[in-house]
Amino acid sequence: MKNPFQTPFAAVFTNEVLLNAKRVAPYVLMALFAANAVLWWGWGPAVKLGWATNSDFYIKRNLAAFSIILGLPIFTAIIMGDVVVRDFRLGVDPLIFSKPVGRGSYLLGKFFGSFFVLVCCQSAFAITLFVLQWVPFRNMVVLPVRVVPYFQHFFVIVVISHLLLAAIYFTAGTLSRNAKVVYGLAACFYPVVIAVSFLVKDLPPSFHVFIDPMGFNLGSKLDEWHRSAEFLNQYVSQYSLAAYANRAWVTIVSGLLLLIVYFRFRIEPQENRSDVNFTKLALLDAPDRIAYSAPAFELIDLPIEASLARDRITIPKVTTTRGRTATLFKIAAAIRVEFRLLRAERGLIVLLPLAIVLSFLSVPFSRIAPEFSYSVTAASGTANMLLLFLACAIVFYMGEAIHRERELRIEPVVWSAPAPNSVFLLSKFLAMTLLALLLVVVGGLTTIVVQLVRGYTPIELSPYLLINAIVVVPGVIFLTAVVTALNVLLRNKYVAYVVAIGAGAALFYLYNRGYNHWLYNPLLYRLWKYPDLTTGTILTYRLYCLALAVACLALAHLCFERKSR
Amino acid sequence: MLAIKNLTKTYSSGVQALKGVNLDLSPGVFGLLGPNGSGKTTLMKIVATLLEPDSGSIEMNGADLLTRKDHTRRMLGYLPQDFGLYPTLTAWQMLDYFAKLKGITNKKERHALIEALLDRVNLSAERRQRLGEFSGGMRQRLGIAQALIGEPELIIVDEPTAGLDPEERLRFHNLISESATENTVVILSTHIVSDVSNLCSRMAIIRHGKILSNCSPRHVVDELRGSVWEGTLPREQLTVFKSQFNVISSRTFDGEARVRVISKDQRPTEEFTEATPVLEDYYFDLVNRQD
Repeated sequence: MKNPFQTPFAAVFTNEVLLNAKRVAPYVLMALFAANAVLWWGWGPAVKLGWATNSDFYIKRNLAAFSIILGLPIFTAIIMGDVVVRDFRLGVDPLIFSKPVGRGSYLLGKFFGSFFVLVCCQSAFAITLFVLQWVPFRNMVVLPVRVVPYFQHFFVIVVISHLLLAAIYFTAGTLSRNAKVVYGLAACFYPVVIAVSFLVKDLPPSFHVFIDPMGFNLGSKLDEWHRSAEFLNQYVSQYSLAAYANRAWVTIVSGLLLLIVYFRFRIEPQENRSDVNFTKLALLDAPDRIAYSAPAFELIDLPIEASLARDRITIPKVTTTRGRTATLFKIAAAIRVEFRLLRAERGLIVLLPLAIVLSFLSVPFSRIAPEFSYSVTAASGTANMLLLFLACAIVFYMGEAIHRERELRIEPVVWSAPAPNSVFLLSKFLAMTLLALLLVVVGGLTTIVVQLVRGYTPIELSPYLLINAIVVVPGVIFLTAVVTALNVLLRNKYVAYVVAIGAGAALFYLYNRGYNHWLYNPLLYRLWKYPDLTTGTILTYRLYCLALAVACLALAHLCFERKSR
Repeated sequence: MLAIKNLTKTYSSGVQALKGVNLDLSPGVFGLLGPNGSGKTTLMKIVATLLEPDSGSIEMNGADLLTRKDHTRRMLGYLPQDFGLYPTLTAWQMLDYFAKLKGITNKKERHALIEALLDRVNLSAERRQRLGEFSGGMRQRLGIAQALIGEPELIIVDEPTAGLDPEERLRFHNLISESATENTVVILSTHIVSDVSNLCSRMAIIRHGKILSNCSPRHVVDELRGSVWEGTLPREQLTVFKSQFNVISSRTFDGEARVRVISKDQRPTEEFTEATPVLEDYYFDLVNRQD
């Protein structure tokens, strides 16, 4: 009988686990999830409301929230997006496919290897909550130690939900051979969830449970805010028939997606789609030793015409410019290249519709008497929504831009050019800032159009200009500078993503808990009202925000890996 | 004149890539010959300002290249062994970008230069084609073109002919020979011995981070004249023969071993005939003596 540990599937699976074990991202995710669990355990609503932190209700509530909130679907995309693409990018595909490994073994090994790593990362959350049962602090209600609910709800709510997400990302990444498609899908996740929940809000509750692929509605509708803590602590939740049906279809759809990948996957290079692959010149490496070749001077005897027309062309003399003018010229050239790359990578196709949808959603759907004017309400809503959206876009796009040269192996050629570091850093910073400002303009115009369509008139331009100039533009500059510095310092875009998202989520949580001050909230999230924008105080805050941006850029310049003297 | 003095480099992994390299290079094409892992690419990267050495100095015409990096980059044309290009840009756009980074602000001059370079590397017809659609040889030719932008005084080409067909290889040789003017130093790092024979007036052999020899290829080949012998032996005699003579290569075919030997004073056996020496003979003789 064949040893199951010696099959091609097992080999691909273990190799995938090994590859992930050598990456930093899984460990950072584990630390982030564990920290998250500690935060929700000790500083969540349980302590304040007298809920037992290990009650069945609270475990389920935490896991349902964990499954969807705080970017877990995006982390799933990071782990599952480039599983197969990586082999093609690294050029290891011919070596693998020349071995007797079947398509099924390869794809399943890849998928389940990475999914296993993902589940291990996610389990850090459940395990931390489980362990924390033994360390309650004062005023915390804790029931006798329990084991099964943690693992049961983790499996039913988190693992099965993310099996579907993982299968979607894996299918998209493998068939398109482009990780950016996966990141695009991940970026669309929250808007889609919000839009769907908005569309189905009037349907019966059991239907909500049935159609919810992320398991957010699997728990019983307890109306927790109107129940006593004692009731909730003793409550043992059961999954309804609709919940079981939901988990069944989620699993079946995941299987179907893997089946589609199995039938559609091709190992040959994609024709006419070379732009989606990295341009990597994998020249034949020199042999380990010098070997005999044809005798020297053999080329002189080659039957080649002595002088083709093109060989007679002389390379013209050119004049080079130095100084500040030349540096500005180089920065402009580099910005143009950044925009060309952005346009060619179709990043705008993802960003522009998202900005439009979010701006559309930020205008109130029903006419409520505004505090100042309709334009102020709409412009404020759009500004807040766009700032959050731009924060995510800037994190991902700056990561791509800063590390692009290294990933494309163009770094040695570009870095040997006589251009100061500021050309490479400022061009990326300015390109991203300009792109973000373009999105702000698009968002603002969309909001104005929506205002007109819904009849929320009169339209006033001054609130739009004031809010964007004082709140959004400095915020965008600050965010871009911080993310630039983070990518330069950490030298790994995935670590930068995780640190940025983790820090952002933690700050967002703190701000919402009331720990909010302009010193550590340079974006002024929930710290401004429209009348404040004309006062001198807000200008001080904005100057502070811009000074932080300058400091971040200076730090990035100092720590930039390419040394210039 | 490029002077490299006592250059050492040890990577964080503990690998000692360069162990006190000393070289004096005059204008012209200088060949750096060595197997993989010998330290060639490390040396090239240090000269190209992309890597910091642990100690040592590099000067060109009195200017310190290690401390004056911007000055170095202004006069440098560099073609790395392993490089990529932006897949979504066209050949023309890519060269235009590099020319701008070199500080060629005059649009007319820049365009004329790009046209000439594309013509010389036979990529004129593909100027509007995306680089993602280029073959390995085409990318290599574009790499050569970018290295020649802005009349560089120091050209570093690392394994430049890998991936080129024989015709393009010859054209590359012509292009490099033309570029090596009286003020230009060209460093050609390669493992293809015939590239060194055809192009270089001087060469160095590097192995395990040390320079084993710094010589003229023609001179060393001339010195071997009359000392290289070729013949066949029964395979079973090969081990004994190797212990008696300086065997620089042996190939087994049809039960017999075809052997190439360096023997300065005597013909090894009657079956051996004198062979025309090639640069590989010098290389293997040197390596055998070092081992």
